[in-house]
Amino acid sequence: MTYRRPEKSSTQILEKIRESLDRLNEKMDVFIEIQKHNPRGGLDQTIPDVLDVMTLLSLPDHLRKTAVSLCKLGQATAEEVAEQTKRARAVESGYLNQLMLMGYVKKERKGRKAYFYVEKEEKE
Amino acid sequence: MGKIVAFHSYKGGTGKTLLSVNLAAIYAKRGKSVCLFDLDFRAPSLHATFATDAPECWLNEYLNGTCDIKRTLIDLSQQHGNGGKFYAGLANPTTEAIRDMSAKDRKWEMRALGRLLSLKNSLLNDMHLDYLIFDTSPGLQYSSINAIVSADVVLVVTSLDTSDIKGTQRMTHELYDLFEKKTGILLNKVLTEALTTESQKRNLYERLHNIHTLPILEVIPCFCDILRAGGTQIFAEEKPDHPFTKTLEKIATKIENF
Repeated sequence: MTYRRPEKSSTQILEKIRESLDRLNEKMDVFIEIQKHNPRGGLDQTIPDVLDVMTLLSLPDHLRKTAVSLCKLGQATAEEVAEQTKRARAVESGYLNQLMLMGYVKKERKGRKAYFYVEKEEKE
Repeated sequence: MGKIVAFHSYKGGTGKTLLSVNLAAIYAKRGKSVCLFDLDFRAPSLHATFATDAPECWLNEYLNGTCDIKRTLIDLSQQHGNGGKFYAGLANPTTEAIRDMSAKDRKWEMRALGRLLSLKNSLLNDMHLDYLIFDTSPGLQYSSINAIVSADVVLVVTSLDTSDIKGTQRMTHELYDLFEKKTGILLNKVLTEALTTESQKRNLYERLHNIHTLPILEVIPCFCDILRAGGTQIFAEEKPDHPFTKTLEKIATKIENF
């Protein structure tokens, strides 16, 4: 059986499937984190708060490290945060999503990538 | 890349300003580009030390987001450079500005943290500064914790006063450890009688190691002539052979290799 290079349209379909899988993965990370920290389930922990230094002090160590890195980077993907913290991308993705659920960070999708940020930079 | 060094203490009056000004002067003398920031917005003091005209912008305005950081910098290289570059950023000392800064909300403090963190890019990367030195306010308050989080190295100035020792111990566990900063202790204003013999010095260091879990960078004796000068002289510039300057030289080298 000889291998045939997929047509352009097939490549596009594969790309779309990959994007969907990536999104699905991230959603799974969020659910896993919710289950870990709120075993009764529910998305009722969405009270927005401010990520100031006093909040940073009150966070558990693993989330503080992620939050400080994001504060330094301004806006970053889970991979960029992972580069700073020297932890796995999937771990950071979980922590960032948890911080988002806690109302401390926001997420925005640009193409296939998900960017996290504390606050959008204002044009001054 | 350059370093951000923050001077902090539990109590006021430990000598943060004196040490930060002299450390900046030593780095400038070594040909480095250095910038000194007054981040003690409740009791600003560097405007009095340098007695310059009001800057184009105060650091207050930079943190408010109404002014670019470069417009806050005063170039003091001619007066204090001694071969290097010496800049200063000042806190507005007027009562109105102090009142304004103490009434900021949490969202403002969060933005201020972001602006302090971005100095690494704007001053160390873009302006190629070797050292950015923060003189902070004492204790656990927003402006000083923001400065600590933004710094690479934190120098905790402390004394042998019991309340200062207890407070510094608490801050070590509840602040510095949590942010995983390179932190060192500077024991200041130690009576010279306690440092006359080698065994006395050894005993003091042993005592300090039992008190503090952080490394003791240096023990600085109390010098009457510094007290007499009342902040009008920068010893590192005017008295290069003074033992205080020599001690600061050692501290500067330790920070370079920290």
